[in-house]
Amino acid sequence: MNIVITGQGIISALGVGVHDTLLALQERRTGIGTMRHLPSTHHELPVGEVHLDNEQMKASLGIDPTHEVSRTALMGMMAVREALQQAGLPCGDEPKCHMTLISGTTVGGMDITERHYATFGSSDTHLDNLLQHECGASTELMARHFGFFHDCTTISTACSSAANAIILGARLIEAGDADIVVAGGSEALTCFHLNGFNSLQILDHKPCRPFDAERAGLNLGEGAAFVVLEREEAARRRQAHILGYLSGYGNACDAFHQTASSDAGEGAYLAMNQALETAGLRPCDIGYVNAHGTATPNNDQSESMALKRIFGQAMPPVSSTKGFTGHATSAAGGIEAVISLLALQHGFVPANLGWAHPMCDGITPSMGVEHCPLDHVMCNSFGFGGNDSSLVFSRHSHAHVERPLLPDAEVKVLSQVTLADEAQLADIRQYVKPMEARRMGRLIKAALLTSLQALEQAGIDCPDAIITATARGCLDNSERLLDQLRDEGEVLLKPTLFMQSTHNTIGSAIAIRLGCHGYNITYSQDGDSLRWAMHDARQLLLSGQCKTVLVGCHDETTPLLRQMMQRLGCHDIPSIHSKAIVLSCGR
Amino acid sequence: MEELVLELKQRIIDALNLEEMTPEDIETEAPLFGEGLGLDSIDALELIVLLEKNYGIRLANPAEGKEIFKSVASIAAYVNEHRTK
Repeated sequence: MNIVITGQGIISALGVGVHDTLLALQERRTGIGTMRHLPSTHHELPVGEVHLDNEQMKASLGIDPTHEVSRTALMGMMAVREALQQAGLPCGDEPKCHMTLISGTTVGGMDITERHYATFGSSDTHLDNLLQHECGASTELMARHFGFFHDCTTISTACSSAANAIILGARLIEAGDADIVVAGGSEALTCFHLNGFNSLQILDHKPCRPFDAERAGLNLGEGAAFVVLEREEAARRRQAHILGYLSGYGNACDAFHQTASSDAGEGAYLAMNQALETAGLRPCDIGYVNAHGTATPNNDQSESMALKRIFGQAMPPVSSTKGFTGHATSAAGGIEAVISLLALQHGFVPANLGWAHPMCDGITPSMGVEHCPLDHVMCNSFGFGGNDSSLVFSRHSHAHVERPLLPDAEVKVLSQVTLADEAQLADIRQYVKPMEARRMGRLIKAALLTSLQALEQAGIDCPDAIITATARGCLDNSERLLDQLRDEGEVLLKPTLFMQSTHNTIGSAIAIRLGCHGYNITYSQDGDSLRWAMHDARQLLLSGQCKTVLVGCHDETTPLLRQMMQRLGCHDIPSIHSKAIVLSCGR
Repeated sequence: MEELVLELKQRIIDALNLEEMTPEDIETEAPLFGEGLGLDSIDALELIVLLEKNYGIRLANPAEGKEIFKSVASIAAYVNEHRTK
């Protein structure tokens, strides 16, 4: 089955829409500059902001200006609208045709939360806005804005989120669970993650310089980008214009460190290898690689090694386009997928802005090629926790590796462990030494404990995949960072707290502990997260891609959240809840 | 100086959340990273925050920390010389 792309939508520092983006790329015009919208004191840090403010986006989208809507949701709506328009959707077939929206985000409605955080504890005025905080809420708002999506979900794997959303989209279509998927990611700049990245000391005070010997970190960006995915036959039947093919994809876990990549780039290597394998292509077939290339000393060194391991002496042109857009974190995979598709459609290699000096043992990036027909393009996105993904887009249709469901396959539950009482956490000592546990928040401890116990009961050392469901992630950490920002201002935040504020920290901690390089994904769609995680696990098992999968559902609350939920009249939620399930098929 | 060393040890234990450890468990001259206590790059960032917060010392570049963070003794010497609070 061939999966085609029939629509693309983008909003970033390069402008609003595909046209402006293409022009900026071809004219080598960066979108990175001084801060205009973000209410931060760190004006010394260059950023890649979307030039529209929230009011302008609301006006464009026809949203009541008095409604407070998160910037993540607004940018997402702008990009989804463009992608749908290009794909000629809605086309009138929607009642018969299952349409799903998948968005990658980590920040979600954090911009609204930080605006009202100081009043949350004491006043009811902005209490409703709490409901926009979660990642899943921004996706739901987007889906509701358009009205014709049958389903939506959110992937939260930090900076590879949007790439993983696109992978999930393809898999849902392949499995027959959706006819049309709009997939990508959206992420607004917030003081929360700007200060978080700052405390990790990986923000360059000058425009970023990917793959340069003197690179000194990344510039944060923001934006949203989405693609419309569907079956080739279906697209042809409704005479949609085909922009390209999603021919291959891969996701793997580096299983090395929460914020650093391994020297040899193992996760990146595995993801690229898998993407080539699913596409049925050889490395020499790839005409251009859009690298993750954040410009941090660590990423570019590690990615260079992984690229060399894949391509050897025959390195295709490689460039990072983060010198144009900044690093739009969870949206980066969507933005760069659209940029890769534009390169494919218009036959050019985008420049690696900011590069001047070759780095020791690094790749030499392309400074851009104007006319260069491309058949296959690879697009890399790597996230915290070593969550590495790679996509391959092709200009023409070609044989794609099929994964039919196994006949008579049956999914079995091998074990199940639940923790609902904080006192049980003391048992973690049986598995983790104090030195190893020093950075683990209580939710990570709980998730690790239930996972290790469930694996032990199932008699499995390392599963083939780890799938996590969490509505709010390590909320305690996020709240402590928000407290620090409120009470002390934009000072150096505690790096340990920030490292654990991404939702996929949980799944990564388990992977690091087990040395599990397999597929690693985190769903963050409120009460639906576990349903999506189980569905994904079943599909992996029934198609024979995995023999064993560890599924987990982990969430915690804080006294502030519980108090706010009570005031909102919501049902009470436990302070901690963690469940690990080991599933198998054919083992 | 001895007082500063003890204070630093306690602050390191708190900042890095070294559960079940006391100042007596950290040798003043022993290496903090690698072979010794086994700290890593994230701990180094925590130490940078610790110096800024408690002693008003700002390290702009994490690489500067390498020499300073060799041991509690070397941190104490640096703090003694550069503290602004």
